[in-house]
Amino acid sequence: MHDKRTTLTEAIAAISNGARVALGGNTLHRGPGAAVHELVRQGKRDLEIVKTAGAYDVDLLCAAGCAAAVSAGFVGYETPFGMAGAYRAAVEAGRVEAREHACATVVAGLRAAIQGVPFMPVAGLQGSDLPAARGFQSLRDPYSGAEVFVVPALMPDVAILHVQEADAEGNGRIIGTRFEDVLMAQAARRVILTAERIVDGEAFVAAPETVAIPGFLVDAVVEAPRGAWPFSCTPYYGFDADYLAAWVAVARDPEAAREFIAERILGAAALA
Amino acid sequence: MSVFPAPIAPAEIMAVAMARLLRPGETVFHGVASPLPMIATLLAKRLYAPDLVYLNIAGSIDPEPERLPVSTVDPALLRGSRALVTLADLFDLSARGRLDVAFLSGVQIDGAGRINMSAIGPFARPKVRLPGGAGSAMLMPTAKRVILWRTRHDPRTFVERLDFVTAAGNVDRVVTPLSILVRQDGRLVVESIHPGVSPEAFREATGFPVEVGAATPVTPPPTVEEMAALREIDPEGVVHSEFG
Repeated sequence: MHDKRTTLTEAIAAISNGARVALGGNTLHRGPGAAVHELVRQGKRDLEIVKTAGAYDVDLLCAAGCAAAVSAGFVGYETPFGMAGAYRAAVEAGRVEAREHACATVVAGLRAAIQGVPFMPVAGLQGSDLPAARGFQSLRDPYSGAEVFVVPALMPDVAILHVQEADAEGNGRIIGTRFEDVLMAQAARRVILTAERIVDGEAFVAAPETVAIPGFLVDAVVEAPRGAWPFSCTPYYGFDADYLAAWVAVARDPEAAREFIAERILGAAALA
Repeated sequence: MSVFPAPIAPAEIMAVAMARLLRPGETVFHGVASPLPMIATLLAKRLYAPDLVYLNIAGSIDPEPERLPVSTVDPALLRGSRALVTLADLFDLSARGRLDVAFLSGVQIDGAGRINMSAIGPFARPKVRLPGGAGSAMLMPTAKRVILWRTRHDPRTFVERLDFVTAAGNVDRVVTPLSILVRQDGRLVVESIHPGVSPEAFREATGFPVEVGAATPVTPPPTVEEMAALREIDPEGVVHSEFG
């Protein structure tokens, strides 16, 4: 057995500045919150964040100066908290590039990476300004002659995923919706798994089909109880509405956001 | 069926109007930040289209949530679902022409029913960076019909010219707090204005030219049965959450 357990500090230290980082989960749910906080603590720079629909993760990495680009279909806190203020401020000030995708083009780009091909045809996009703004080309189908948009492969340097259970080898069980986590694990060069708890992998043998992430794709496993916080992690906890409301209240103002980060994430009171 | 007597909130009129647009047997999808589509679909399933297939970004199929979440990606929306789908599965379904209805929204909507969810001002260096269109650029041309909903109906929302076209495609109806618009020959026209909305107020709130007058139909108000079902599905009033 290859024991891949390590600390969050070491797992995140292996990520280079400038890396393309895919984050699991969706909007307020099952994002790798603890790992995102560690990216901030280690002061990573120039990251490209990949996600279909991001929220606090993208917003915080923009506020903390970790992100240079965001490749996502949607960034916001949905109806509970609205716009992502720090992301918005960073893009408007030119500090972060919004590489807007249709969520389906993130999926298509990941699939191209998974399948070892340079690009992936994708249905739709007709009439949208996104292809021109993002440089997505169209090709003539050599069989039918129809035009089809193609998006380039989107291969993350690392995917960071938070799961409910993992074993020491990195086999990961996800309870509930898997979102794009499995695609990210397949597409990325490296995979870091954080887990609510580490269990004996023998427990997975009875029903291996319930394991979403096969361990051979995984490079590092970190035990991180409440490691999705402030995102939800079903069935253990919901998203932290009070904390997110406090963050959203300051996120739009770079100075206030920096103070919040210093106090709540870098400071002594930070550790949840 | 009798008309519901008490004052009815705009959110309730919208939810009922959106539910009435869904038809038996249709496969219906909503994404993130979509409390009104969530409630409208549950309402339609209860009242008009029990065999409708309800899919959502939380990944559930025909859920029977015990408590309605305000986040429409919330795992609370999985309750009662017997199988799950991923977002990739849902895009694939639409791509191969098997998705009947997608609910989408836009910060700006133009007279052709195109939407902007990307940026106010230049895309590369916007005055206002918006959340992004999520799946809309892919879903709008591929879903058989798209129902847009927007809880604001004012000239900044319904504009002559979009700052950026995030998505365009098979828009069928647009439901707002003032009206139901229908797309005919590529242009949005008024299907009905809601009870109590004057043609003048509607015209002033709409930034592109629309024909509206004394002959414009009025949206039939929610019935007692519709309001009862709505309040049973949504006792906590999540329907109002988009009106902040």
